Amino acid sequence: MSTVRNIFRRRLRAFLTIFGITIGVFALVVMGSMAEKINLLIDGGTRYYSDKVIISDASTSMGAISTTPISVGRIPEIENVPGVARASASVYMLLKKDQGMSMGVPQGIMGTDMRQVGYEKFKLTMAAGRDLAPSDRGKAVVGSDVAKALNAQVGKRIELRGEMFEVVGIYNKTLTAPDNTVTISMADVQALLYAQLPSIIQQQVKPEQLATGITAYPQSGVDPNQLATTIQGTVSGVNANGPKAFTDQFKSATKIFNSIIFGVALISLLVGGLSVVNTMTMSVFERTREIGIRKAIGASHRQIVGQFLIESAMIGFLGGVTGLALGWITSIAVNAVMASSGTVLFLVTPRLALGSLAFAIVLGVGSGFYPSLHAARLKPVLALRYE
Amino acid sequence: MKSIISATGLTKRYQLGKDNFVDALRGASVDVGAGEMVAIMGPSGCGKSTMLHMMGCLDNPDGGQVQLNGRRVDNLGGGAITKLLREEIGFIFQGFNLVPTMSAIDNVAIAAQYAGKSRREANRLAQEALDRVGLADRADHRPNELSGGQQQRVAVARALVNGPSVILGDEPTGNLDSTSSAEVIDMMREINLTTGTTFVLVTHDPDVAEACDRVIHMRDGLVIEETAAIGIWEGAPCGTDAAVAVC
Repeated sequence: MSTVRNIFRRRLRAFLTIFGITIGVFALVVMGSMAEKINLLIDGGTRYYSDKVIISDASTSMGAISTTPISVGRIPEIENVPGVARASASVYMLLKKDQGMSMGVPQGIMGTDMRQVGYEKFKLTMAAGRDLAPSDRGKAVVGSDVAKALNAQVGKRIELRGEMFEVVGIYNKTLTAPDNTVTISMADVQALLYAQLPSIIQQQVKPEQLATGITAYPQSGVDPNQLATTIQGTVSGVNANGPKAFTDQFKSATKIFNSIIFGVALISLLVGGLSVVNTMTMSVFERTREIGIRKAIGASHRQIVGQFLIESAMIGFLGGVTGLALGWITSIAVNAVMASSGTVLFLVTPRLALGSLAFAIVLGVGSGFYPSLHAARLKPVLALRYE
Repeated sequence: MKSIISATGLTKRYQLGKDNFVDALRGASVDVGAGEMVAIMGPSGCGKSTMLHMMGCLDNPDGGQVQLNGRRVDNLGGGAITKLLREEIGFIFQGFNLVPTMSAIDNVAIAAQYAGKSRREANRLAQEALDRVGLADRADHRPNELSGGQQQRVAVARALVNGPSVILGDEPTGNLDSTSSAEVIDMMREINLTTGTTFVLVTHDPDVAEACDRVIHMRDGLVIEETAAIGIWEGAPCGTDAAVAVC
């Protein structure tokens, strides 16, 4: 109590200093929650890709998602490669033809030949309704974020690329790619994809032969990265990518975001920290006489340092709490506003919340250190004479 | 009488500007007996406050030495001085010097806490000390809610709380009206006579001097004269030395 009262002896100054830290922590929480969201996406992706090889047509540039078709007929050839336990074809396409740039994963439509069942370890659970059955036609199961964007509910109909589909289920939130994906049957998605192809290609392919990617599941004990190299060498005209290709790609994205966070932290450290140093130094000068008295009645160096450090830690804490609260509210508000477009931008994780709070307190303590030491070193007799 | 404070040949020079020195003490010696109540008087700048600060280890002399309870204390290091300030010396100042953000009891308890007492024990001792100075019912008031006299009594309680052998006062009545001043003087004398705590009071106030056993007069950094005082204590039972003037 006495600590708080001491800080608010100069009310305006205390508020301004705390406000400085608030802004720093606010920026840290907002930027950090964006990075946390991206990191989770990447974690999910890394986990998803960790045990498989993704095969696409060789003419497609490298990447997880291919839009140039590859023939379903290549599956036996791939399953013949030693080390491959199972190969499964899938079709992926963007939800909207002219989809612009978006943060994170774009909204998409996906269908598989179901051959992955029993091999795929990334499990999706239902929030509502049921999962897709192999015999379903004209039915869709929707990821949690895209469900919000399409206003999809079980039993309702949604439009995908001009065709109507009945929603039979909604997946639970995974915080990664499936949240932005609508799953329909292989035949349905093949038909949608076929309809988009230029007529010259349509003449050369049959819809049921269409796939955008083939996933190879390695036999147990086989390294997926090595298997990718083997497939690449054995099967002609394909690109095979193991988990390493994806983690390498993700790592650079993570690096950029983490350096943004680091930059924000550094700036708030400087601005907030300097203002705490200033406030505490002023406070020590104003209270020179009080410090003299405290020493005269038996306070040790350590006790004086402790008193002022607790005050500056408290300034950091108060700034941290308000910054965290404002940042949290902002992230919830922005997420709510953007929910209709299916974009979830921010995620305030416990480690981010606790981390920013700890950061603010450490900032307070660190900046209070010099002024506190200065206070403790005052000679009592000089301090007492000071008016 | 056994000597409790003995300062001999103290010198102190303060530098104000480049070639501007002030000799606050020029070889002053003072001897205070255990249980005595002594006033140090003299014009402003005579070195009496400097003398008091050296007795309380708040400042070091350039020459001479100070002994407290037979131990030399003018050359002690920071830790030893802190220990001395906690256990053996109490201070009272002219400006009361209470911490404005703390209640009366916290202002007193903090001294006990500095001396290593637990919060609970410190509060108990503080309550006792406030009782002693007649402010038990004002324990939760902040300094700005107390009169000058009450604030100074809180300061006396703070000086008392660790049971020191010596209490040093720098103009303890300097900021008080005559009524409050009389109350505070009376209280210090009572404590002095009943507990045997030694008081050394730097003062301009003849009423303070009158209540003491002895007055030390200083001028230009030297002790020029010592006189016996009457030692008035209005509350003294008749028949004791202190009651001479009252009965």
